[in-house]
Formats: sequence, C-alpha cells, structure tokens
Amino acid sequence: MISSADPVPAPTGSLLRDPVLVLPLAVVLGLVVGWEGLRTGVSGAVIAVDLALSWGLVGASMLASGRARWRRPRLLLALAGLLVLAGDLQWSSAPGLWTAGLILELAWLTVVVQLVLSFPDGRSWSALALVTISLGYLAAPVGGLASALVTTDSRDALSILSSQSAEDTIGRIRAALGFAVLLATVGLVVWRLASLRGASRRAQAQLLIGATLAFPLTMVWLARQALTGESPSTALSAVSTALIGLIPLGFVAAIGWSRLRRTQASDLVVELRTAGEPMLRDRLARVLGDPTLALAYRLDDGRYVDDSGQPASVPDRPGRAVTLLSAGDEVLAALVHDPVLLDEPALVESVRATAGLVLENERLAARVRAQLAEVRASRARLVTAGDEERRRIERDLHDGAQQRLVAVCVTLGMAAGRADPTLAETLRRAQDDLEQALAELRALARGIHPTLLHEEGLDAALETMARRAPLPVIIEGAIGSRLPAAIELAAYFLTMEALTNTAKHAGASKATVHLQQVNGTLTVTVSDDGIGGAELTPTGGLAGLRDRVEALDGTLNVHSDPATGTTVLAELPCGS
Amino acid sequence: MPIRVLIVDDHPEFRAVARELLEEAGYVVSGEVAGAREAIASVSAETPDVVLLDVVLPDGNGFDVAAQLSRDPSGPVVVLVSSREAEDYGQRVSGCGARGFVSKSRLSATSLASVLA
Repeated sequence: MISSADPVPAPTGSLLRDPVLVLPLAVVLGLVVGWEGLRTGVSGAVIAVDLALSWGLVGASMLASGRARWRRPRLLLALAGLLVLAGDLQWSSAPGLWTAGLILELAWLTVVVQLVLSFPDGRSWSALALVTISLGYLAAPVGGLASALVTTDSRDALSILSSQSAEDTIGRIRAALGFAVLLATVGLVVWRLASLRGASRRAQAQLLIGATLAFPLTMVWLARQALTGESPSTALSAVSTALIGLIPLGFVAAIGWSRLRRTQASDLVVELRTAGEPMLRDRLARVLGDPTLALAYRLDDGRYVDDSGQPASVPDRPGRAVTLLSAGDEVLAALVHDPVLLDEPALVESVRATAGLVLENERLAARVRAQLAEVRASRARLVTAGDEERRRIERDLHDGAQQRLVAVCVTLGMAAGRADPTLAETLRRAQDDLEQALAELRALARGIHPTLLHEEGLDAALETMARRAPLPVIIEGAIGSRLPAAIELAAYFLTMEALTNTAKHAGASKATVHLQQVNGTLTVTVSDDGIGGAELTPTGGLAGLRDRVEALDGTLNVHSDPATGTTVLAELPCGS
Repeated sequence: MPIRVLIVDDHPEFRAVARELLEEAGYVVSGEVAGAREAIASVSAETPDVVLLDVVLPDGNGFDVAAQLSRDPSGPVVVLVSSREAEDYGQRVSGCGARGFVSKSRLSATSLASVLA
C-alpha cells in the first residue's frame, strides 16, 4: 500500500523511546511535590500553575504518540514536564531535595527552548540554534550547579563557598544569559515563521506562534533580574510560567490541525478525479500544499520519468521524503515531497487512494511521452551517425581513389610533354577526360559531405554553392558564426536539394536563399521564380530532408504555385 | 642557380610524381615530407625557395603552415596544392599567405611557373 522513506527509526517500545508511563509518573510526582509545597507555605496559585504546566507538557507529549518523526519533540516535552517538578523540589525543606531543586531550577525552560529550536524532527534548525540551545544549558542547569556551590542558604547540601556576592553575581549572569537565549530563540522563531512555506508552515506554525508569545514576559523579569539582581515577584513568576503553556498548546494545536486536514482530504478527492489540465503533479502539489512536490512515474524497466516523459530522479537524501504509490505489488509512481507530509499520513493516504485511478492513465501518457522522447533521441542519433559515416566516406574518397587518379593525371601530362605530337594529342585528351572525371568525383564528394561547410561554416559554404549553381543565386542574410554541425549540415543539404530541384525542374531565371537567425531559430528560405509544381512526396529528396530537419526538432515546408514559384522554408532551433 | 622545392604531402604516390615532374622541369627537390611539423623543420634546415604544400595534412593543415612560413619575410614562396579545388576552401586560400593554389590534377611545369612568375 503506502510506504515511506522515514529518516527516523521506528519506536522500539522502551520507556525512553515511547514514554507512555511518564504521564502517571508526572501526576504522582506532581501531587507529592504540590503537597510538600502546600505544607511549606508556597502560594497555591504558584503550585497550581507549575502542576498545570508540568502535566500540560507531559500530556501534549502523550497526544503525539504514533508520530515517528515527532519522537524527539515528544521526549523533550515529557522531559520538560518532569523538570518543572524537579525545580519545585526547592519547596521541600530536606537539604538534598532542596539542592537538587536549586540545581534543576529553570532547566525545563532550556529543554523547551531546545524543543522549539529543533521542531519538528529533533535536529536543531541551524548552527545558531545549536549555539542558543547550548547557552541555554549553560544558564540552566549548569548555572544552577554553580549557584548551589556558593549559595548562603542553610538548606543547601552542596555549598562549598558560601558567598552572598558570588551568589548574586551568578544569579545576575544566569538571568542575563537566559534573557539572551530567549531573545535569540524568539528571533529565530520569527525568522522561521517568515521563511517557511507550504506544508512545512502548515505543520509548524501553531507551535512557532505559541513560542513567539510564550517567552517575552519571562524575558522581562530575566532582564530586570540581570540589571538589578531582584528576583521576580510571585505573581509575575506565576503568570510568565503559565504563558509558557502556550508551547504545549501550540504542539497540541498542530496535531489537531493535521487531524482536521484528514476531513478536508475528502473534498480534494473530487478535484483530483477531475481529469485534464493542469498536470496531475500540479494538482497533487496543490492538494498536499507542497509546492516542491515531484511526481515520478515508474516505467516497466524500473526507470522513473516525469509528466513530460523526461528522466526523473527519486532522491534518497535527507530533506526529501519518498512515498511510493502502488497498485497491488506494482509500483506506479513515486511522490518526492517535503518530509513534513509524513506528519499527515491520513491526507497522503487518501490522496494515494484517489490518485490511483488517475495515475494509471497519466502513467500511460508519461510512458508514451518517454517512448516518444526515446524515438526522437534515436532519430537524432541516426542522423548524427549518418553524418559521421558520410564524412568518413568523403575522406576515404579523397585519400584513396582521388589521390591515385590525380597522380595518374599528372603523369599523363608529363607523358604528353615527352611524346611526339600525335601521341601527345591523345594523351592530352585522356588527361582532359580524367580531369573531368575528377571534377565529377569532387562534386560527388561535396554532396556526400561538404568539406568547406565543415571547415568554414554555413556562410562560406552557401556562397560557394551559389557560385557553382547553374542559375543565378542570390544569398540574403548571413549567420556570422558557427552553428552546431547537425544544424549546418541540415541547412546546407536542404539548400542544395532545393537549388538542384529549381535548376532541374522549375525553369526559373533565378533563385534566392534567405538566412535569418532570430531567438534561437535559424530560418532558411529558398525561393525561385519558376513554374512551381514542387511537392513533398514520401520518397522525394525533400521528404528525406524533412526527416533530417524534424530530427533536429525543426520544420520544413514547401509552397509551390505556378504564379509565384516555389518556396522551401525550414526552421531549425539552434539554441542560441 | 636552380630553384629548390620542398614537397609536403602525406600521399607518397603524389610526392613521387611531383618529384619527377619538378626535376624534369629543372627544379631541385630539397626534400619530401608528409606532415606539418616536418615541413616547418625541413624549411628551417634546408631553406628551400618554394614549398609545394598540400592542404590536408595528418598533423595539421596547409593554411596554418603557410601562415607560419609567410611570417618570415625571407621565407620560401608557398604554393598550395590539393586534390580539391580552391573554391572548396573558400576565403582561406587567399588569406593564408600562400602565393597561389594549384589543383593537383592540373599540376604541370607550366601551371607551377605561372604561379611563381
């Protein structure tokens, strides 16, 4: 059915990988810690906020179970939830627990920062994000350990250097560091919100917006503490902590949104079933909200081609996910898409089920296009191979028979010089005949492969052809540069064929060859003022030339009429 | 003093017949070579008066050799020969610095003398 290349390994079921037992653990721990807080006189509101945040974080983590790609964010959420309670161990008067609470105070906030800056796949967004996260851990819990070493509080079990000034300084440095970390986090979040598009944005926006709103109040009191050394009031601390709850809320909203999308998928089915324009790929990209989506059809030989029949690659690399669309055991096509779509399996699945019918037709069309492309390529190869062969034959003629005949011709001339007048006369006649034969041989060789064209290009070759023609030929326009050999040969041969036809059949007084190169197309027009009557017959010379021109994706047309004469018009795309 | 001629052509049968023709007409053949590089070397070694130079050579072409030789004002007179006609080469014949062009089949004492005249 559906298979996906998923960069994250599936959960194996251990507590760490799939923390189903974290929620009851958090509930029990929360009740114990909260009871201790009540016993030691902590404000009920503060206790309520902390427990709500802790359970909210753990609960959000549970809601995302079954999402392989969100495994690490889930772990971080659960960890943050437990760390909220760990920080609250300070409510206990037992020295060991109190110290543990001091060390772990606000460590949960760093874990939340890491969650945000590595959402959704658990890899931090950028080097800057990684630095921000690392600095966060330096502020808490590493800074918490430093505080525990110097604090003057009598409940501390770890104090080795009780110093009020050291404690204050460390507190202010931690606050400043925390402020900087949150500032950088908000900056990175805003930038990411602004740059994300399509499916990625859809999947991540809720959590990112939550993060943008969650941190500023905490930043306010951190800034104040860094500047003045004053701890936040109980109320400010409670409200700012409560605001962080927007992040698990955003996380839950993201899950809810993707479940909502499942129902939207059924509407899109109708759209997909509507055959015709635009291409299936474009429709799929719109339905799935992923403009980067690529659709590759699988041919019987295992190759993949796109809508137009061109070879397509199905990349196996990070940042792209591949979903195979199959009928039975046969893979019909591959969707190459943004991996965030894997977070919406129901959507992809309904698209897959719907696309099946349309897909078979589109795949057949793509296969035909691929075959057509293949045939065109092989036709072009045949023409090129033919040209190579003609060139070789011309060279063989030149190097072989022609050279020997030339030597004989010179020898005959010398013999004539030495002979008596009667014999000399005969020898000269033989030499003249041989020269005539050589001239015909050269003309034949030029028809097989024009050396001048090969050496000097179209302008020079056509000029010489015009001079040699048995009727006046005017050349209009010039190319001025060299074109691909196949283009030059096609233009040369079709001009030669057209002029030969004109000379043989048209009864024309003159012919005109017009050359023009505009917007990457070479236009060759050969016209005469003759009696018309030329046509493209399947076996005629012009038909062979049309094949040659079409092999180069060009066109060849003939207009012939007794009043206006004959015009042969060829258009050849020449790339420049 | 007889005119000394270097024959440059990769076809031995043509070199042989050209040598015979030249010697009968009173020229002295200073050497026979088959390629462009040998031609340049032989010109500096033998300093012929005339080079009978085939256009198509295995390691280059006669136009480039002619252009190189004509850069030296005291260099030899270059006469291009080919089994093709001058028209087959377009403007290159007139632009390469050679004195003239003789189609191989028309090579004779008379045609050569008229180019050298």
